[in-house]
Amino acid sequence: MSAVLTLDHVKKVIGGKTIINGLSFSVREGEVFGFLGPNGAGKTTTIRMIVGLMDISEGDIVICGKSIKNDFTGAIKEIGAIVENPEMYKFLTGYQNLLQYARMHDGITKEKIREVIELVGLTDRIHDKVKKYSLGMRQRLGLAQCLLHDPKLLILDEPTNGLDPAGIREIRDHLRMLTRERGMSVIVSSHLLSEMELMCDRIAIIQNGELIDVQTINEFTEQATAAFAFETGSLGDAATWLKSDWNALMMEEGFSVEITREQVPVLIKKLTAEGIDLYGVKAVAKTLEDRFLEVTTK
Amino acid sequence: MGKLIINECAKLFRRTGTWVMFAIVIIMILGIGAFLKYGEVNNPPQVNPAWEQELAMQLEADRAALEETGQNNATLRMFYEREIAVKEYQLEKDLAPETGVTLWSLMSEAQAVIGIIGVFTIIIAAGMVASEFSWGTVKLLLIRPIKRSKILLSKYLTVLLFGGLMLTVLYTVSALVGLVLFGMPEQARPYLAFADGEVVERSMFIQLIYNYLLSSIDVLMLATMAFMISAVFRNSSLAIGLSLFLMFMGGTGTMLLASKFDWAKYVLFANTNLTVYFDGVPPVEGMTLAFSIIMLLIYFVVFHLLAFFVFAKRDVAA
Repeated sequence: MSAVLTLDHVKKVIGGKTIINGLSFSVREGEVFGFLGPNGAGKTTTIRMIVGLMDISEGDIVICGKSIKNDFTGAIKEIGAIVENPEMYKFLTGYQNLLQYARMHDGITKEKIREVIELVGLTDRIHDKVKKYSLGMRQRLGLAQCLLHDPKLLILDEPTNGLDPAGIREIRDHLRMLTRERGMSVIVSSHLLSEMELMCDRIAIIQNGELIDVQTINEFTEQATAAFAFETGSLGDAATWLKSDWNALMMEEGFSVEITREQVPVLIKKLTAEGIDLYGVKAVAKTLEDRFLEVTTK
Repeated sequence: MGKLIINECAKLFRRTGTWVMFAIVIIMILGIGAFLKYGEVNNPPQVNPAWEQELAMQLEADRAALEETGQNNATLRMFYEREIAVKEYQLEKDLAPETGVTLWSLMSEAQAVIGIIGVFTIIIAAGMVASEFSWGTVKLLLIRPIKRSKILLSKYLTVLLFGGLMLTVLYTVSALVGLVLFGMPEQARPYLAFADGEVVERSMFIQLIYNYLLSSIDVLMLATMAFMISAVFRNSSLAIGLSLFLMFMGGTGTMLLASKFDWAKYVLFANTNLTVYFDGVPPVEGMTLAFSIIMLLIYFVVFHLLAFFVFAKRDVAA
């Protein structure tokens, strides 16, 4: 698979302070690429450089073979983006807003506009003023605005911000459809990690303007050791060896312990031999969130 | 470029504020019309039978003034020579001065509204770039396959379009209101213009367009300045405040400076009023029409260079 977007040792210095320090990664065709990082890590700055709103201090960003530095108009044609909130002209209707953007690209037909409106499900309200829209509807209008010119790369900054669960699901389905059927690549930045887990194929984690890791979602979650919660009766003396040998964490009704799957029956046998009542064993899967905190607090 | 201007116009004219501005201009013309009509009804015009004697006396006074002060002041000499030539022409052709209120008086009074149009144009120019930043829409505007300088140019042209449209509305509406209230003057009275040492008759319609455009020059310069401040500082309040302050105070301040220092002639506001070269006295002795036009061009180019350079280069962090 070829790379749609490549960042090559990108650096951004603002007022003598290095905000982004040598960021390099690439996004492949047809994948959803997650961009993770705590607040202030440089996610938005990176996105602004990709879309040419900010200058690149050092390095280069190439979109479909065209450098955003040297061939801005050529490179930006391939991008559809929402940077932070999708801010629209509130005194215009949704349709008039889309017309604004349609006029700035070549060859967008009325037909195409209608098709995009239908895709994001705004057909009924498209002729209402944007100031009457809910946040979710504005997000959808923002998405429509990105899709008008059939870009190769979609960049969505916090796309699920302020959406209800149904809306989030809808956006997720749209993204799946766009990548599968149209071969678009999508970059999503979010702090909702559970969301990322469901949406993305790969994620990049950045912190303090530096890339910490790029991994597929599966790798990312698998590397975490699992935790198991044991629901037991009174532990008595057993608590001592559980703590020292198994590094168990005592809880109200039992304990939890970080072990591999194979060790579970071993521990159960040991507990029953000691005469401890065992009511249940539950696997507590580590979420992306735990993993994320693990990675970023190292 | 055409499509970009359509975009800007759509944004401009879909806002109620813009229409309120046009309504205010029309209401002001109606007010001036009503005021003139009221004056005409209360004091019906009378033809002064002795106008020739009066004019001859004024002519004598002008000649004496020319003798006295005209010797050492080139601009005053020009002024009196013009006055004398026009008055001689009037006597020769037996053209009595206008006494009644006509369509022309309304259209020429309506020139006062150009000041209001100036305020509105400055407000629009100041908001052009700065509003996109305060609305947050600039991020979606600048990620299109269009160079930033082209977007800025389309915005500036839209400001010019707005100002031009306002002037056209002022001109046509005041002509229409004049026609309705006072009717067409029975005989077409020409405007007596003084050019290249002789008096020429000019159509009043043409002369008024000429006057309108001349008095719009400071509006144009201030709107350009407001646009520049808006693009450089991305702050519409600053652009509006500074431009309006200079619009109201710039002229007076420059006059004060001009009375003491010679270099005041390089100040923008010493050059914006070009009518002084046609019927008045320039603020600093020795200034010519060509000098003022060159100064205006320099300011114009500097404002644009600043606006385009800063807007095209700076990071968008809004």
